[in-house]
Amino acid sequence: MASALTSSINRYMETVGDQVLFTGRFARNIFRGGFEWGEFIRQCFIVGYLSVGLVGITGFIIGLVMTLQTQPTLKDFGAESYVPGMVSISIIREIGPVIIALICAGKIASSIGAELGSMKVTEQIDAMEVSAANPVQYLVVTRILACTIMVPLLTIMADGLAMLGGWVGVNIQDHVSATLFFKKSFKALEFSDVVPSVIKTFFFGYAIGFVGCYKGYHSARGTESVGKAANSAVVSASLWIILIDAIAVQITNLIYY
Amino acid sequence: MDDTLVQDKKTPAATDDEVVIRIEHLKKSFGDNEVLKDINLELHKGENIVVLGRSGQGKSVTIQCIAGLLEPDEGLLEVLGKEVKALSPDELRELRMKIGFLFQSGALYDSMTVRENLAFPLTRVLKMKDEAEIEKRVKEVLESVGLEDAIDKLPSDLSGGMRKRVGLARTLILRPEIMLYDEPTTGLDPITSREISELIIKLQEKYETSSIIITHDMNCARIVADRIVVMNDGEYIATGTYDELANSPDDLINNFFK
Repeated sequence: MASALTSSINRYMETVGDQVLFTGRFARNIFRGGFEWGEFIRQCFIVGYLSVGLVGITGFIIGLVMTLQTQPTLKDFGAESYVPGMVSISIIREIGPVIIALICAGKIASSIGAELGSMKVTEQIDAMEVSAANPVQYLVVTRILACTIMVPLLTIMADGLAMLGGWVGVNIQDHVSATLFFKKSFKALEFSDVVPSVIKTFFFGYAIGFVGCYKGYHSARGTESVGKAANSAVVSASLWIILIDAIAVQITNLIYY
Repeated sequence: MDDTLVQDKKTPAATDDEVVIRIEHLKKSFGDNEVLKDINLELHKGENIVVLGRSGQGKSVTIQCIAGLLEPDEGLLEVLGKEVKALSPDELRELRMKIGFLFQSGALYDSMTVRENLAFPLTRVLKMKDEAEIEKRVKEVLESVGLEDAIDKLPSDLSGGMRKRVGLARTLILRPEIMLYDEPTTGLDPITSREISELIIKLQEKYETSSIIITHDMNCARIVADRIVVMNDGEYIATGTYDELANSPDDLINNFFK
């Protein structure tokens, strides 16, 4: 029992050590000459553009559903005019970034984990390594940076569409002009709502890219490990997103309140 | 065990006395599994050594140690006069530019066309920027493996033999001094296996490489080997020419040739 616990702790510490080393390799290779611009742009296209549909629809429906759920309750209190502000604050501060990051973890982290995992299994990463090319620079740096930049942009887009969904939701039962709805939405928002939520999405993006790359790059041999890499990439990235969100809320509260 | 064969014989086919790979008492374990127990080998310039052995004996582990993909636990491993273990990452990168490694599967980058696969080491390793020069080198090396027409194909459109040829072309494009082949004919039909084996010889003459070839294919061994070493239980137990080993009184060695 004690030895099993010790070996679990050892394995965990080894993984943490590996992740620290992997972070170091990533950081060193960002500033090394010969940045892979072509691959970086290709990854931005894959991570960003190819996720627009999923993220956009999700964002729109979140806004729509939130409005439909809250409007009747607020109506009972005669507080219908608070719907736009409530929707915008809750979406921009919390629901938008977290849900979109979780969606991206499912779509992007799993795809990166599976892609790099299968490259590992088919010895493509080893082939890059022995040919003296730099697989970290080509495969890892480009993917992590693409995620770090594209996830915030996707979140901003989804937040906007969520507010549009909110306006559509209000107009299913009542009639509110777009000008009035968005004016009230933005009036309710403050600097301290927008900036911290945008900043944390960069960390979400980094976590998604890093976990996907780490799990894929360190997958074991055999086809089964590709599936495991994809699966554990999603699970770990999702956990990291929740953890980062909890830390971000604490830091935001310390700074602004 | 035939002790007379466990010697480092220099065959006439080896053109030079210069040792390009020197391995002494090399050991490598994975957990409790001691894969390499005591490996000793010298590869001379211009020589082709074939390593024979049953599956799981650590043949691939040896060449992975040579390429710096695995770090040996103990022993001396010198490649082109440099001890691999003592090299910094940049020095190891420099050394790897002189080593070609053909993987069993070919290990082609499957999201890239054949042209992009071949141009990859030129643009990333040699930092070549001149498109015309890159195209010239790509076409030249493809021609030497007889696959000029496959230049725009994706790896998924190629047969097993073609993949091996492109993999070979990709390693040769950097003009390495040493070639390491990990089962170059595995999974191929006898005719294609023979073509690949003959190609190895042809390219060795053209690019003047020294090679270690791991194979189970005795036809391949007969065609390409200047010298054969037999591996068993983590050690090299015999070395000699094809004919010498084929006539060995030791059943363990002789069985490979039956």
